[in-house]
Amino acid sequence: MDVLSLDLLVVALRLATPVAFVALGELFSERAGIINIGVEGSALAGALIAGIVAHYSGSAWLALAAAVGIGMLLGFIHAIWCVYLRANHVVAGAAVNILVAGLALFLTVLVWDWRGRSASVVSLDPWILVWLLLVLVVVAQVFLFRTRWGLRLRVVGEHPQAADTAGINVYRTRVAYSVLTGALCGLAGAFLVNNLGRFTAGMVGGRGFIGIAAMVVGNYKPIPAFLAAYLFGFVDALQMRLQDVIPSEISMMLPYVLTVIVLAGFLGKANVPAALGKPYIKEQG
Amino acid sequence: MNERERSVRGEAVRMEGIVKRFPGVTANAGIDLSLNYGEVHGLLGENGAGKTVLMSVLYGLYRPSEGQIYLEGNPVSIDSPAVAIRAGIGMVHQHFMLVPRLTVADNMVVGWETSRGPFLDRKRIRKRIKELSEQYGLEVDPDSAVEELSVGEQQRVEILKALYRGAEVLILDEPTATLPEQEVEAFFTTIRAMRDEGKAMVFITHKLREALTICDRVTVLRKGEKVGTVPTTDATEAQLAEMMVGREVVFEVQRDRVASEGRPLLQVEGLSAVDDRNVPAVEGVDLTVHDHEILGVAGVQGNGQTELVEAICGLRSAVQGHVMLNGEAVTGSSPRKMAEAGLVHIPEDRHRRGLVLNFSVAENAILGRQYEAPFAIGHVGQSKRAIAGYARELVERFSVVVPGVRTPARALSGGNQQRVILARELDRKPKVIVAAQPTRGLDVAGIEFVWEQLLAMRREGAGILLVSMDLDELMTLADRLVVMYQGKLVGEHRPGETDKQQIGLLMLGGAVETS
Amino acid sequence: MRLLRELGIIGLSVSLGLGVGAIITAATGHSVPAVFRELALGAFSDVYRFANTLMRATPILFTSLSFLIAFRAGLFNIGAEGQLFIGGFFAAWAGFTFSLPPVLHLVVCLLFGAAVGGLWGFIPGWLRARRGANEFVTTMMLSYVAILLTQWFVSPGGPFHGGRMAARTVRIESTAELPRLLAGTQLSWGLLIAFIVALLVWYFLFRTPRGYELRAVGQRETAAEYGGVNVARTQILAMVLAGVLAGLGGAAEILGIHRGFTVGFSPGYGWDGIAGGLIARAHPIGAVFAALLMGALRAGGAGVDRAGVAPRDLVEVLQGLVILFVVAPELFRLVGRWRLRRRAHGRAQS
Repeated sequence: MDVLSLDLLVVALRLATPVAFVALGELFSERAGIINIGVEGSALAGALIAGIVAHYSGSAWLALAAAVGIGMLLGFIHAIWCVYLRANHVVAGAAVNILVAGLALFLTVLVWDWRGRSASVVSLDPWILVWLLLVLVVVAQVFLFRTRWGLRLRVVGEHPQAADTAGINVYRTRVAYSVLTGALCGLAGAFLVNNLGRFTAGMVGGRGFIGIAAMVVGNYKPIPAFLAAYLFGFVDALQMRLQDVIPSEISMMLPYVLTVIVLAGFLGKANVPAALGKPYIKEQG
Repeated sequence: MNERERSVRGEAVRMEGIVKRFPGVTANAGIDLSLNYGEVHGLLGENGAGKTVLMSVLYGLYRPSEGQIYLEGNPVSIDSPAVAIRAGIGMVHQHFMLVPRLTVADNMVVGWETSRGPFLDRKRIRKRIKELSEQYGLEVDPDSAVEELSVGEQQRVEILKALYRGAEVLILDEPTATLPEQEVEAFFTTIRAMRDEGKAMVFITHKLREALTICDRVTVLRKGEKVGTVPTTDATEAQLAEMMVGREVVFEVQRDRVASEGRPLLQVEGLSAVDDRNVPAVEGVDLTVHDHEILGVAGVQGNGQTELVEAICGLRSAVQGHVMLNGEAVTGSSPRKMAEAGLVHIPEDRHRRGLVLNFSVAENAILGRQYEAPFAIGHVGQSKRAIAGYARELVERFSVVVPGVRTPARALSGGNQQRVILARELDRKPKVIVAAQPTRGLDVAGIEFVWEQLLAMRREGAGILLVSMDLDELMTLADRLVVMYQGKLVGEHRPGETDKQQIGLLMLGGAVETS
Repeated sequence: MRLLRELGIIGLSVSLGLGVGAIITAATGHSVPAVFRELALGAFSDVYRFANTLMRATPILFTSLSFLIAFRAGLFNIGAEGQLFIGGFFAAWAGFTFSLPPVLHLVVCLLFGAAVGGLWGFIPGWLRARRGANEFVTTMMLSYVAILLTQWFVSPGGPFHGGRMAARTVRIESTAELPRLLAGTQLSWGLLIAFIVALLVWYFLFRTPRGYELRAVGQRETAAEYGGVNVARTQILAMVLAGVLAGLGGAAEILGIHRGFTVGFSPGYGWDGIAGGLIARAHPIGAVFAALLMGALRAGGAGVDRAGVAPRDLVEVLQGLVILFVVAPELFRLVGRWRLRRRAHGRAQS
């Protein structure tokens, strides 16, 4: 293997990281029965807040924590909307995306007086987050299939009533994992800022949606979802090289086109949680 | 089993003055119930009498509006199943609370896992399951997926699930409803074994004979109220029946014999189909329905009836075989073509197929005919007036109780929803009617109405394929009876010449194995 | 009665969204009265400003209709932005490529935009119906593809670059222009087309057999299938129509206002359409009013910016909040139930 392609594989890993964080996040939500397309906005919010906190505090670690925090908040809101207010999951997620897109422009103007981008901010070595991701992927795989909480999570997404009668609080479980999803999206956003050294409103640019696709392709399992995300990272890395040869607009389409093709060709719907997207209405009085 | 040992542990549960109100209904109106250890306590009543609600209160699924529960004499407040489980109460639900895709072991332990640190201790779990199944004679393989199990096996998993959690009080909600007659005896043996262990059990049923066979005492509910508690040693079927319904109910079904001309209307030859998971569900089914005839298909749920009906009606593609309607091949036709050729379908699931619940009664009245004049004006228009007028006419003719035709179908009672479906389908003057579970979940008046309508259609010459799990319904209505077992049709009978026991045996595949 | 209650809930949701927006406005150090005053003035204070509101409402009405027609079929078209771009570009292309008589040329351009938009909707529709691919991911992905594609078309070095520096095409023939409705403003006949299309969508959904089938599929696929509806075909039809409506919106915007395709022509009208469709509770006539609200927010936002009381993007935040509350009608029902329960509780205690 020559140096150039080895380098490509390494770059691919970096580019795959935010996608994989989101994929992992979406996996927890959907396993619990909640579709969250607000992951795109949650990641953007993570990046935005990371940028702002880094700007004011000068601490990249504090920025990281803040990114996780805002992600959790948005995950919490999404869960409240889906679980208690019975909003349509896709629609609630879209609302989060629109809200954050607006905030990104508004707050960058307020903080830096530039519409949609920041000045450069202090950042961590992004590889810290890459390693964190790799650890989390393995932990998630074990968690899901080997621990009691993983088992409960899977039952909540498959058959909430069965979970309820087994003494598991379905609502609380769904909210908790939705918050976890938000936290992982926050990490995705924080990674983007630390990777670039600044915030831009377009920096997520559909990676949230690609993360959802990676999770679907990975058949709702952490390690396969990571591998799918890596494939997208690889194509992303490839398209950057291609920009010398073909117009950048064309090469930039590659990850999006790939997502569509992969989703179209992917028919293994085997693991879709049975109660995904359906509100669980507990009769009470 | 000795009385002494039972009485040693005494009263397990006492429910006092339990009231449970839902918006618009009082499901339980001040019910008292006492349950002893070493007792099987029958809870008897018609559909909607409030049996399941009362037990859901005990299991913490509902909070009672009024009343108090005592466990071993201590007042308790059970506000979630988790509390109930910790208090040693287990419930086997009528609709199993099992995740098809997970293994038996995972299903059994979820929420009550044996673990080492955070990890599931699968070895110890397996061992414990083995112990329990040996102790109670409930044989299951902990590692097989629940979706591969028969109904009887799934029920065993549910019981073991409760025992695994250390249940001393066990609620069994209509456990025999989905069980084939021949498995009932083995099930009763298990129940007796548990009683001898000193467990307290509530056995919800509406079958008198079973209640008398297995229960020590029976409490009868009617319309949310308690009628009384009697020891089974003193009770008779007739007495319990009267307590249950408050009056004697005998269906008088006018079955004037109409001679069939023997003209085959629906012919199915060698039909095979697969289910949603691509597993063969219907294998080489042959059947013929003649004019003026009701052909009954009996069988335990999940033996391919759903797939058979869908394959005949064009809702599922056939892997093999032919369907002929009035002598013409219609295999693989769309539901629309089938209806146009004279076959209508009363679907087994009103909410999934029969109605669009958020559509108005008027809109539902033309489902399937939306493209026909006068409802449609070519491709480009729809006559609201024609639709509403037609709906009003149907509502009147079929006595649907509804505030108006603009009411959403969701707001109707189950019986009235079924009337809308029947009205719509029968008004198409079909030659063949495929009716799947047409009376499921209906009250007495609703059942009577459906039966009358089907018999009237038969009188007028229609051929009817009646798929039902209710053997009494089939014995009453059908001219001929076939049994579906594991995707195949076995045996053919005339209801007058066979008894229920024989059919029950066939439903289990008994005859196939003995012959 | 039901309509009134529904309107009441929508009104409350919108107010709640604006209320939380006011808190954010104050928290970020802006004057709430000034912002809301400029917002209203910017949208309604004179005929030119109102024309600006209407002008912005026009594409939003198209994208709202696009979103809601898919939604009525149980599908999510969140890629209207890309359909708007691709429709706008091809309308412009037909506008500077063909030479045709006045009215005909315009009609051809509009049809071109609608057709290519429809194609952009067909792909995710087909993928969903035949391959089970999530349409909310695929519409989004194709939206990026459409935007990047049109960007490349008009970028310096792209095949249709027509400006000097700016990324835009050459101007369309005057025969293809959609005339202005009001002299001295950018408001074009596109508004009237949008109103007519809204009526047509209403008619289609509620007064034709196909519309009935589309709504049946959206309510319950299995029941529709039982009722003889070809579910897959209906889903594809819905997505094609969604694409057509957004594509037509792009065409009207380009032909009526910009008179040549330029990449910066949409500040996010595709996203506004999701908001519009949802606020309208997926009703085409409601969408007219929802689009006006969204248009007023956009026009008012420009006023806020001009007056210097806050950045214009504050309205994007307001809009996001409004949507967030509009999509949770249960919120008010829950509040109502709590109140009822507390009252019942109080009575029990007294």
